[in-house]
Amino acid sequence: MKKLILLIFAIAFTFSSCEKDDICDANTITTPRLVISFYDISNSSVLKDVTNLSIIEENETEAVTFNSSTLINGSTVSIPLKTDADVTKYRFILYFGSTTTPVANEDQIQFNYTRENVYVSRACGYKTEYTLDPANPFILTDGAAADQQWIKYVAVKKSTITNENETHLEIYF
Amino acid sequence: MRHTLKYIFSIYFVLSACILSAQETGPKKIAPVKPQTETAPVIPANDYEEVRKTAIKPTDTINVVPKINRYGLRVGVDVYKLTRMLYDKDYKGIEFTGDYRLSKKYYAAAEIGNENKTTDDDRLNFTTKGSYVKVGFDYNAYENWLDMENIISVGLRYGFSSFSQQLNDYKIYNSTPYFGEVPEISSGQKYNGLSASWVEVVAGVKAKVFNNVFVGFSLRLNTLVSNKKPDNFDNLYIPGFNRTYDGSFGVGFNYTISYFIPIYKKKIVPVIVPKKPLPKK
Repeated sequence: MKKLILLIFAIAFTFSSCEKDDICDANTITTPRLVISFYDISNSSVLKDVTNLSIIEENETEAVTFNSSTLINGSTVSIPLKTDADVTKYRFILYFGSTTTPVANEDQIQFNYTRENVYVSRACGYKTEYTLDPANPFILTDGAAADQQWIKYVAVKKSTITNENETHLEIYF
Repeated sequence: MRHTLKYIFSIYFVLSACILSAQETGPKKIAPVKPQTETAPVIPANDYEEVRKTAIKPTDTINVVPKINRYGLRVGVDVYKLTRMLYDKDYKGIEFTGDYRLSKKYYAAAEIGNENKTTDDDRLNFTTKGSYVKVGFDYNAYENWLDMENIISVGLRYGFSSFSQQLNDYKIYNSTPYFGEVPEISSGQKYNGLSASWVEVVAGVKAKVFNNVFVGFSLRLNTLVSNKKPDNFDNLYIPGFNRTYDGSFGVGFNYTISYFIPIYKKKIVPVIVPKKPLPKK
């Protein structure tokens, strides 16, 4: 009997020091980013790699880091949307920093969306899920310099942004 | 919170060892002493022969000191909850305990309480308010000497709680902190009409300190049976159940001071069981 009580205390003592839910697990789906895929305008079913693309929010100085680099070379990128505003405007600068041909070209895309804060867990708190505005999901404009837009066409693939496993937006160039 | 819990557990772990050993050595020393005069039925040794002569059944007269078992209601209060109110401004709570002796070993037991706790986690701050009731039984596994009335028990409870949660503020988790950490968002959203039920395994100790006053503590391991969660939030704290974890597991304890109200007594004179009936079968 005494041993049983001691055992119960020992178990409780052990449990008290291993709270697994203290830290938000990296595998937990939290606030998703907007996943963009780049396609070839001349052959719309083929993914096309961008070269030295830098994506900077209009009020920020640093570019978005994707796969531990601020220069994106590839056919897909994920960018965060603001969790405290319904609008996020990004500068998409292709051939970033280049002064020779092909010269750097800036286009801007403003994303319009609605937000919903969804409970995740004690450790993670809440996450924000987005729904791109059905009437006006994005506004594509040329950058400050009046050069040609490098982005030829933008299409919404999936307007509800709840995870990063699927492409939400397609950019053709 | 985690460290506090750890600290509390280790204190009680040590305390439990002390109480267990104290009770073990105590009775051995006390044992030879005759019970006090308040229990009249103790037969003085000198009169023993006479009693045997007048006894109807000679088989009953084995030299046994009769044991008085008192039956009644014990009511108490959880001192831990009361004292916690003094130093924790985010906590208000009270718990009353009661048990009624059903038989030599079994006690019907119940707790009833009310809690108002504000939990401040890293990412969430919420207030839980509600009442709870727990009913079940205790089994006293401790064999008392003479008129001692100490209890080392294991038991079961079924607990039910009705409560509300209010989300005060929260933070958005963003694994890509490009825009920096967004300050916490005030909510004030209230979730009413929540409930939960659970089963507790209770291990407890109660020691009579003087007259009818007992001090005791119990440790509880809980398993949720039902849990009505709010939409877009969770029951991270349930009155009576305490903090919830990822699964249905929970722990709790109380530290009680209780008063025993005697209702009736039973004298236990162990009857020597005749050994004849056994061979017949």
